[in-house]
Amino acid sequence: MNTIEITLPSKKYKRRMTIFSVSAIVVSVACIYMNFNPLGFFAEFHFVRDLLGEMFMPNYRVLADNSSIGYSILQTLSMAFLGTIYGGIIAVILAFLAALNTMPYRIVRVLTSITLSLLRVIPVLVVILIFVIAVGPGVFAGMLTLVITTIGTFGKLFAEIIENTENPPGEAIYSVGASRLQVIRFSIIPQILPSLIANLLYAFDVNIRTAIGLGIFGGGGIGFQLQMAKSVLHYKDVTALISIIIVLVILAEKLSDFLRRKILGDGKLR
Amino acid sequence: MNNRNMPYRLCLLTDFMKWREFSFKRYRKWLLPLLILAAMTEGAAIICGATFGKLEEGLLKGISFLGFMFPPDWSAFAEMVQPAFQSIVIAFLGTVFGTILSVVFALLAAANISNPWVRNITRLLIGLERSIPEIVILLLLIAAFGLGSMPGIIALSLGCIGMLGKLLADTIEELDPIMMESMESVGANKMQIIVFGVLPQIMPNLISYALFRFEINIRLSVILGAVGAGGVGYELDYSFGMLQYHRAFTALLVIIVMIFGTERLSYILRGKIKMEGALK
Repeated sequence: MNTIEITLPSKKYKRRMTIFSVSAIVVSVACIYMNFNPLGFFAEFHFVRDLLGEMFMPNYRVLADNSSIGYSILQTLSMAFLGTIYGGIIAVILAFLAALNTMPYRIVRVLTSITLSLLRVIPVLVVILIFVIAVGPGVFAGMLTLVITTIGTFGKLFAEIIENTENPPGEAIYSVGASRLQVIRFSIIPQILPSLIANLLYAFDVNIRTAIGLGIFGGGGIGFQLQMAKSVLHYKDVTALISIIIVLVILAEKLSDFLRRKILGDGKLR
Repeated sequence: MNNRNMPYRLCLLTDFMKWREFSFKRYRKWLLPLLILAAMTEGAAIICGATFGKLEEGLLKGISFLGFMFPPDWSAFAEMVQPAFQSIVIAFLGTVFGTILSVVFALLAAANISNPWVRNITRLLIGLERSIPEIVILLLLIAAFGLGSMPGIIALSLGCIGMLGKLLADTIEELDPIMMESMESVGANKMQIIVFGVLPQIMPNLISYALFRFEINIRLSVILGAVGAGGVGYELDYSFGMLQYHRAFTALLVIIVMIFGTERLSYILRGKIKMEGALK
């Protein structure tokens, strides 16, 4: 008898199907638990259509009528800038204290590492709520929040960058009589400076986005204006503000890209 | 001089003495950028109303406030478990639907699959989406659908498109063109190429990007919850609003555990995926 061995549902196929069906079941159970119907978005799309109808066309006159909007754009920008600068400086200092090759004392290293890890997991929302109570709502609270979140996001990263530097140059100048601080200055800093600057430019980019979100929780700036316009149901103003936000974020991204290429392009940071 | 046998403190002293060897010439090219930076900082500080004294005072106040919150209200812990679970489910569903959406967008935005017109328009849409913060999307969706977890899930899914769509589109464009040509030459149509050629190849990348996005979505779901998507973020905001700071501290602890747990989980899973990819 010349039968062909039937290997159809093959092992691989069975395995794939099991994974697929299990994940499908998990997703549907989660949907039922949350009372969420993915098709509901399309079934109730008329709500979105109504809203879009109210939002268009954007009312750019609000820029001329409400003179505080221009100022609040400036506030958001300076909030992000200061958050990046101060947060970056503190993050670099803490990173030097947390890195294995710059800090000889174990206890300091461990304590700073724990602080940095804690700052990393504390969500932005908690920090802004605390600072709004501590210093009152406004741009200053938003700025302090950005300082904290910048330290949290980039402190650990900087410490890793410092630890990943190459040892031989440092050992070479140490062997001819350089002190620890001189090793840091002439071996470690030249190695980490390019990635430090690149990361800080990226941090500015991230902070602009965060700063807009912070305005909604009392951080001031353009996010606050957006929240105000939304709560008085001036949707045409909201559209205008959103378009301004989009332009702002895109410009910040392009600027940070441009500066990164300009500063780091030809390796002149030696 | 032999620095090696000197105690650390003495090294600092000799360093201080070496400041006399400071040469201005070396740092000349840094002067202008630093001055511009300082001027910008000063201007921004005036707008923010920040001085160094106020900065220090504000940071200290914030930290001392944390001490004021300190003994967490353990009795509220039981009330927090369900909202925390809800937050995780919101983030999970947002990631799943967002990943499906962004695969569609990525396929449309890849040069080797769709035609140039569609590609450019999709890339533009992805770029636009990337520059709108998720919280703005959520505010608009809440205006349309009212409060609830549904706008939260939709906002998170839409938020995925900007990041995942771009990353996946780039991954697809980097695929080997020979594979697609050989499938075409034996008569596969577009759909078959996508299902049997493209998707299996991008799967490892897809999963690790999705896991990374899940981490971000967990953080976002806390923030979105405070605006009205429910979950543990709402509990936190509510406790702050009701001045129940000890209860808020409990919520904070729950959130920290949640974020830390998902981070570890996604790290382990991504490591596993990398291992499997290496074994193949």
